[in-house]
Amino acid sequence: MNQTNFVHESYAQRIWRRFRAEPFARNGLWTILVLFAVAALAPFLANSHAIIRVADGRVTFPIFPSLEPIEWRFLLYVPLAGLAWLFRRRLFARPLGGATFLLALVILIEVWLVFHHVVNDPTNDRDRPAAFKLMPLVPFSPVETASEPFLPPSWTHPCGTDSTGRDIAARMLHGARTSLSIGFVAQSIALSIGVTLGSLAGYYRSWPDIAICRLIEIMDCFPPLLLILVAVSLFESQNNMFYIMAVIGLTTWTGMARLVRGEFLRLSGLPFTLAAQAIGAGDLRVIVRHILPNALGPILVAGTFGVASTILLESSLSFLGFGMQAPTPSWGDILGESRLYIDFAWWLAFFPGLAILITIMSYNFVGEGLRDAVDPRLRIK
Amino acid sequence: MALLHVENLGIHFGPPEDPVRAVDGISFEMAAGETMALVGESGSGKSVTALALTRLLASPPARYVSGRIEFEGRDVLRLPERELRALRGSGIAYVFQEPSSSLNPVFTIGYQIREAIDLHRPEIRDVTGEIVRALDTVGIREPEKRLNDYPHQLSGGMQQRVMIAMALACRPRLLVADEPTTALDVTIQKQIMDLLKALKQQSNMAILLITHNFGLVADFADRVLVMFQGRIVESGPTAEVLRNPQHLYTRALIECVPKLGQKQRRLKVIDYAGIN
Repeated sequence: MNQTNFVHESYAQRIWRRFRAEPFARNGLWTILVLFAVAALAPFLANSHAIIRVADGRVTFPIFPSLEPIEWRFLLYVPLAGLAWLFRRRLFARPLGGATFLLALVILIEVWLVFHHVVNDPTNDRDRPAAFKLMPLVPFSPVETASEPFLPPSWTHPCGTDSTGRDIAARMLHGARTSLSIGFVAQSIALSIGVTLGSLAGYYRSWPDIAICRLIEIMDCFPPLLLILVAVSLFESQNNMFYIMAVIGLTTWTGMARLVRGEFLRLSGLPFTLAAQAIGAGDLRVIVRHILPNALGPILVAGTFGVASTILLESSLSFLGFGMQAPTPSWGDILGESRLYIDFAWWLAFFPGLAILITIMSYNFVGEGLRDAVDPRLRIK
Repeated sequence: MALLHVENLGIHFGPPEDPVRAVDGISFEMAAGETMALVGESGSGKSVTALALTRLLASPPARYVSGRIEFEGRDVLRLPERELRALRGSGIAYVFQEPSSSLNPVFTIGYQIREAIDLHRPEIRDVTGEIVRALDTVGIREPEKRLNDYPHQLSGGMQQRVMIAMALACRPRLLVADEPTTALDVTIQKQIMDLLKALKQQSNMAILLITHNFGLVADFADRVLVMFQGRIVESGPTAEVLRNPQHLYTRALIECVPKLGQKQRRLKVIDYAGIN
């Protein structure tokens, strides 16, 4: 028995401590965080406009007018959330005051965004002379024809160019947003549907179980890719990321539902479920507070693996030409294009493939690390 | 007035045409503060009876086919879900057979006792102090430290003490101990029974001890019920039943317990053909 027993440690803290102790999981998580940061900051990493430009005695920030509302939201809300968290004590000393202040800020930003016009300046700052200019790391926009087509990787184009002369590095950086956010959001949708239905089926058994299982079987009759293709083609001309997220999420939850149902069937037969009911816990409490935490390990693992497979699914959709439509870049889209030119333009397949590989591997490492960390019976450290 | 009044309770499983009569029309009463033992072999319907007292037995698969269960004058079998939840824990609390699996493996024992207190005694301010007291009552040393232990860090006997502490934290009027010592070894068995005995003397809580072991019953229960194949075959004050068992099955059960100082090569095996 060591002294640490004196210190109170919450469930989440313990998971975090055990998770950090695993180098693969830790590095996987870091990789994912870096990828998300890259995706979030893509317009500042790859853009044909300068970040700061000094010319004719005037200082301008040419990137900002071209930002989309969603990028503005991200730029403003993430630091805002961070600040709110940092000053949460002072801000919520009077709960109503803090909340009103934040709400007012959000409304102000939203109103400003409604009246904000996105300027799409087709020119670039690369060749335009200026006294001083700070260009992004990759000075190309993902949609502009920057150079000759099929240039192999070089110092100007670190990942080469594609069939229309667009810079692959810029497209990869911007494509990270599509792939990562679709993977994350679509899997969250699938996770919430799967966990809800699975836990209801596994806990109540009898007719809810029968109904939900038949629904799962009906869904599983159709290959998910086929379902998605049908759904996408029903509403074609939809080049909306949220639409593809919803379609993928609504068609891939069956595996999670099955898993959660199985876990609930197993756990609800164990005496601690009966013990929880015997101290007067209601169904919702037993499901959410007693059984679900015990099933968290497999759910988290399946969820992280699910994110990986969702990214793959989005890539295959784009590969087939049903994902995000051109010119919006995504890794699968670049990969899809590569298949026509694979015999001479290896870089078209290599870089997006590598990005997908790294992302999926990182997610899998995180999944495995989580699985070990949530199980208090496994004794690591 | 009786604390608990069970009348002609019948619980069936399986198809209605050919039911398994797990509990076949039993009736008994318990007064407040009384300790009673329900004795019988595996499958005689003891545990089903115990679970039925707060309708913990899910229906389906179980069917409550007849009779009534009255706890403090309220009909448990017809109680709405919300009142039933209030009854579980604060009216009737349970200690189950397997302490290792009756505790939730992913939460600390302190957290689990806290939940019981939060559910039934929300008026308590110093919940942590109350948890420490609860653990202290069941004889856990250094309760402040054990609070943050997970169930797998405790021994079986300690786990069962925690289960008892959890049940007592709700301040029940009736404690149902469903084979509380079956999964424990003999020395721990004695400790747990001594603990229950001490608790019995401290509070005015009624205890229903369910067991298959007549040896535990002798110096613990005021009264004893003997169950066999879903029916109560004999009941009465413990001393009397032990001294002068009327039913063949009771006699056979008593003979199953080895006696000190008596040379016996083999224990008696119950002869079912003779009983039926």
